[in-house]
Amino acid sequence: MNKKVKVIPCSGIGKVYGLIARESALKTVFDLLPEKSETVCLAYIVTGDKEAREKIEGFACITVDGCPKMCASKNVSIAGGNVMEEIKVLDTVKEHKGKKFGSPTQLDEDGELVTDEIAAKIAKTINELNEGGK
Amino acid sequence: MDELKVGIISCSGEECLGGTISRLATRKVLEELKMISTVTLCLPLYLAGGEEERNFANVYPTLAVDGCDKLCAKRSTEKYSGKINGSIDVSSIIGKENALNTKTVRNKDLTAEHIAMAEEVASEIVKMISNLPPDSYSGKTFHGCACGS
Repeated sequence: MNKKVKVIPCSGIGKVYGLIARESALKTVFDLLPEKSETVCLAYIVTGDKEAREKIEGFACITVDGCPKMCASKNVSIAGGNVMEEIKVLDTVKEHKGKKFGSPTQLDEDGELVTDEIAAKIAKTINELNEGGK
Repeated sequence: MDELKVGIISCSGEECLGGTISRLATRKVLEELKMISTVTLCLPLYLAGGEEERNFANVYPTLAVDGCDKLCAKRSTEKYSGKINGSIDVSSIIGKENALNTKTVRNKDLTAEHIAMAEEVASEIVKMISNLPPDSYSGKTFHGCACGS
């Protein structure tokens, strides 16, 4: 049975925070912890397809959301995923007041820094989950 | 007179390159197309949002841009919002092998070749927009995506 933690971002397309959510989730699953985590297309989950539900139903999931609508968290919960941690991009962004992070198309240097910071938080949570600490 | 606006919904899939290309091509059209106004909505808002978001495809002539042949944006828009006016399957433009590439997904890993793929898909979106009948605009109002788009 695949026990990798599912890291699912909102990938919001209207503001840079959606791109930060997307890139931090992808950095985690591709670069930081590929052996312990993977992602699932949120758009596939939204379809409600049986196969999409089976990918996350009952699995430990970490969601990453770029705005207060919490699309990733809500959709993963609706599809039966166990949301172990809801990462809110804005919580990290507000610690970097006055910085410009880029656009919904491309991150600039500060956007990359915040992405790295959030990816590190996600990775920490995954390691804690694997050690049974969460 | 109401301004013609066209809605574009991208799958933005996270598992493969096709999703990244769908997102980049959609952003390119939103940012650069000047002839006709375009507007988008974050796809997962169909369930996470309210009536306003679910009314999107009833308000705008809407195109779906999907990274692979699962066609999640097309099917979800039709399931939750309304009939769409056109659909693009990125894998039919850049090839299935490219679209389903699961190694290169992050923006920072993209090469000039990938950017060219996004530009090709953006051109297809613009072609599809130019073929929409001008009377497809319903004249209703929509207050935009909660995330600011």
